[in-house]
Amino acid sequence: MVNIVPRLLKDQLTKLAEKDLRIDGRGQFERRNIDLEIDVLSNAEGSAKVVWGGTIVYAGVKFALREPYPDRPADGSLMTSAELRPVANVKYEPGPPSAESIELGRVVDRGIRESGCIDMESLCVVPGESVWNVNLDIHVMSDKGNIFDACALAGIAALKTATVPANRFDIGEDHKLPVNKIPIMCSYKRVGGRFVYDPSEEEELGGSERIHITLGDDGHVHSLQKGLKGTFSTAEFAEIFTNAGKQAEELRKIVEEMVI
Amino acid sequence: MGGYGDVELIAKDGTRLDGRSVDELRPVSIEVGVLPAARGSCRMTWGLNIAEVAVYGPMEAHPRKIQRPDRAVLDVRYNMAPFSTSDRIRPGFNRRSREISKVTAEALESIVMVEMFPRSKIRVEIEILCAEAGTRCCGITAAAVALADAGIPMKDLLVSVAAGKINDVVVLDLDKAEDNYGQADLPVGILPNSKEIAFLQMDGDLSPAEFDLAMEYNMKAVDEIHKIQIEALRSKYTGGDN
Repeated sequence: MVNIVPRLLKDQLTKLAEKDLRIDGRGQFERRNIDLEIDVLSNAEGSAKVVWGGTIVYAGVKFALREPYPDRPADGSLMTSAELRPVANVKYEPGPPSAESIELGRVVDRGIRESGCIDMESLCVVPGESVWNVNLDIHVMSDKGNIFDACALAGIAALKTATVPANRFDIGEDHKLPVNKIPIMCSYKRVGGRFVYDPSEEEELGGSERIHITLGDDGHVHSLQKGLKGTFSTAEFAEIFTNAGKQAEELRKIVEEMVI
Repeated sequence: MGGYGDVELIAKDGTRLDGRSVDELRPVSIEVGVLPAARGSCRMTWGLNIAEVAVYGPMEAHPRKIQRPDRAVLDVRYNMAPFSTSDRIRPGFNRRSREISKVTAEALESIVMVEMFPRSKIRVEIEILCAEAGTRCCGITAAAVALADAGIPMKDLLVSVAAGKINDVVVLDLDKAEDNYGQADLPVGILPNSKEIAFLQMDGDLSPAEFDLAMEYNMKAVDEIHKIQIEALRSKYTGGDN
C-alpha cells in the first residue's frame, strides 16, 4: 500500500511540534495507556497480551528439547521471532518475512538475551545431549504505532509466566522458567524536528529516524538500534537516554504487578 | 480421523468426556471490533479455540491478474499462530492452511455481494491464536461477523459448525480428544436465513442415516450460533440495547 498524503501529514506534524504539541494531544514523552494480560493462551507454556493504545500484540512461549550447540554443551537456547502478518495493518503484505519483521524480532531478541534474564545453564537436561530450547513467538495483531515496545513488553511478560513442561516430555516435574530480570524497551521517533516517545501510527508515517533502547533492571543498556533514514546528535541521544530510564521504571512496575 | 475406535469417549447415558450431551456445543462467545487497525474485526472463542479476524478493503486488487472485471475477489488467509497448538508450528503457509484458506474464501464469496466492487479485493485475515479442534469452523463464523463489522454488503451471515461420530454415536462439535479418536467429522457452513450450504467437507465414515442426523444437529446449532453473531454485532452498534 502506497500512502499518498505523507507530505501534508509531515507539514502538520512540523507545525504542531513548533508549539510542542502532538497529533493525538500527548506531551513529547507521554505514553499511551497500556493494558497487560497474562496466561491468555491455553496451548502456550507462557503467554501475554499487550494492548498499547490501539496496538495489540500477543506473545507465546513454547519449549522443545534439542541437542546443545557444540560450543555450549550445557546451555539451553532462546529463539525469538516476531511476525508482522497482514492481519496487523493494511500496509503489511502476505509473503515470506519482510526485512521489517526480521529487524523487529532480532531487536527484541537482543534486548532479552543480552540482559541475561534467562539462566541458560538452568535449561540443561543432559550436558552435551539434551537441553531446552525456548521459543518466544510474538504475533502483532493490530499495528497503530510503536510495535517494538509492545512486542518487547509482551515478550518479557510471557517469559515471566512460562512453565517448563518437563512432565509432558517425561523428564521430571513441571517448573517455572527462571527469569530474574525485566529488560524494557523504549522507542523514540523524530517527528517534526524533535524526538517523541511512543510514536503513534501517524507519527511513524510522517516522521523520520527511530531509536530503540533496551534497559535492564540496573539501568544498564542491553540493546540499541537506530532505524530508518536520518541522523541525530549526541545531545539528542543523551536527552532520550535519560528519559528512557524513567519510562523503563514505570513499565517494569506494570510487569512486576502483573506477574508476581 | 485418528481411527482409534477403542478409546471410550462417551458414556452409556450419552454423556461425553467433558460432560456435554450429544447435541451440545462447547461454550461460544463473539466480540466485534477488537482490532483498531482493521476496517472490521471479530474475536471468537469456541471451547478453547480463539480466532481473531481482520477485514481490510475493498481496495485495489493487485497483482492485476487477480482482478475480475465483474466482481471483487476475496483474499483470505487462515493462519495458525506458532504457539496455538501443543507442539510449536513453524510459521508460514502449509498445505493444510492453503486448503482451508481456499475453501473459506469460496464460502465467503457466496455471501458477500462481490458484484458491487468490480476489480477490487477484500482481505480477510483469520488468525488462530489457540487451537482445540474446529478451528476452521471458528474462523469462518468469525470472518462473516468481521465482514459485517467492516460494512461489506452481504446476502446473509455464515455460520460454520461440525458434527461427527465417536464410538459409533453421532455427536455435535467434536473437541480435541473426540477429533483425534473419533470416526467422522462433518464441518458445514450454512446461511442462517435460507439454510443453504456454502461450505461442506467431511472425512471418516458415516452411514446415510448418520449423515442425516449429523446434518440435523448442525442445523440446530446454526440457529444457536447465529443468535450469538447477531447479539455481538448489535452490542457494538447499539450499545447492547436491543
